[in-house]
Amino acid sequence: MTIFRFALKRVFGNTTNLIFLTIFPIACIFLPKGEGWPFLPYGYQYFGILILFIGIRLATIILEDRGKGVVKRLAVAPVSHFQYLSQNLLAYSVILILQCAIVVYGGILFGQELYQPSRLFLLFVSFCFASLAIALAWISFYRRKDTSFLLYMSLIFLIVVLGGLIIPIEIFPDLLKRIAVIFPTYWLAEGLNWIVFGENILDFLLINSVLWLYTIVCIIIGSTRKIY
Amino acid sequence: MKVTRNERVNNMTIASMQGVIKRYGSHVVLDYIDLDIQEGEIIGLLGPNGAGKTTLIQTLTGMIPFDRGKIELFGNSKNPFSNQNKERIGLVTQEITIFEELTAKENLQFFAGVYGLKRQEKKKRVEEALEFVGLADKGNKVPARFSGGMKRRLNIACALTHRPRFLIMDEPTVGIDPQSRNYILEAVKKLRENGTTILYTTHYMEEVQAIASSVTIMDQGQIIKNGTVEELIQTVQHEEKVRIDVTDPDSVPVNSLEKIAGVKKAIVAGSQIIIISTFGSGNLDRIITLVKEHAGVLGIQADKPNLEDVFLTLTGKQLRDKEEE
Repeated sequence: MTIFRFALKRVFGNTTNLIFLTIFPIACIFLPKGEGWPFLPYGYQYFGILILFIGIRLATIILEDRGKGVVKRLAVAPVSHFQYLSQNLLAYSVILILQCAIVVYGGILFGQELYQPSRLFLLFVSFCFASLAIALAWISFYRRKDTSFLLYMSLIFLIVVLGGLIIPIEIFPDLLKRIAVIFPTYWLAEGLNWIVFGENILDFLLINSVLWLYTIVCIIIGSTRKIY
Repeated sequence: MKVTRNERVNNMTIASMQGVIKRYGSHVVLDYIDLDIQEGEIIGLLGPNGAGKTTLIQTLTGMIPFDRGKIELFGNSKNPFSNQNKERIGLVTQEITIFEELTAKENLQFFAGVYGLKRQEKKKRVEEALEFVGLADKGNKVPARFSGGMKRRLNIACALTHRPRFLIMDEPTVGIDPQSRNYILEAVKKLRENGTTILYTTHYMEEVQAIASSVTIMDQGQIIKNGTVEELIQTVQHEEKVRIDVTDPDSVPVNSLEKIAGVKKAIVAGSQIIIISTFGSGNLDRIITLVKEHAGVLGIQADKPNLEDVFLTLTGKQLRDKEEE
């Protein structure tokens, strides 16, 4: 598990990462509840956006390895590309799951009303995996981390708005409402609504299944690019 | 992986490529490559940019697939890129493939861990590798603060922690100062003394001349010649060139010089008389006597062909572009 261990070390060895991974999620806990929409405190809506940023930030480490030739060097070592990728993704997943736990259970300790905290935690975990997988698929199309990161920022802005994470989807025209279902952020927003109002567990399972579908498809796309 | 004494002593073929072809679309990058590397050798793989050196390494190490031919590593042609064989190979990449955010020691610990070294062994090997490349006092520093030469040395150390039997170095001295270059070349010689087989690619012929026990010259995806440095030079040594610095070059009778047995041509170039003779003609005494009769001799210089001349003769090209020099 050398790659796993060092992936964690590398993530926490960077100051910007530390801010993204600790200060921002903790700040989410303390944001107040809105009047009317969103139905959960603002911090839980914004945590979804933060997860997208963290996803690309972590996946970019793999892109850096590819650009610098580290992956090439590892290709000659007795480790497979699968081992390299899976141990890195496992390390990033552990970080993201811990963040979800801090935000959800920290919120409870702070006294936020989260309705169904365990299911909220599960929803965030599913969205974290989807976010990481999408970022992995995204970086597989790029050689330069700067280009990849900047364009992904624009994409995040687009899917966050169109997915109904910062503006309620109900105010969108019908066409945009129909388009919104293709964005993972739409399913997160739906999930957050379900946490407050949902009764049928099948709806919650459907939301999580769609997020997992994103995860599987994007991991397949992202893992096909091996060395260059 | 433990290497037995017998494995070390037997002069076995470490790596072999037979009729290897690699294409990218219609472009042939490796064109029917035949190469044998014997244990204990330092093979200098020489060629200009784009000759196919890096592709040869990537193919030889299983990094990229090849289209035709056969590769054998450590006597295994059925599964040459098995983990057991990979444990015996070290690669020094052309790019500096280290983690800038980790310390030098952590970088080495990472690569040692990837090769499966256990805690105690890893600690020992990391110290050894740092010592070997002269970075023993920099172990706890992050490479972001290192000079280019120090990063290159750490890059080499990362390939040494698992003590590879076969070390592949892909242009390890690109863009570094002469002091670091000398350090690296000395380290390569030391590795050879320890029994490591080395494939060293470069386009600096002076490096190959300094360290290689045999040389393979590549151009346009083909191996165009191989042999020892001396053997290669002999293939182009058809004539001898002598430059004589004189006080008054115009007073030297060039026609008379050309009449001396073996002299093919005599030319006045500035303050020098350049005389080209047949190889082994042994006429230097007579040439100097004649020149001395007409002018004062300030200096004599005999030009010997080098690998650059070999390359020029074989391909009609310079090894390096002028701007690279």
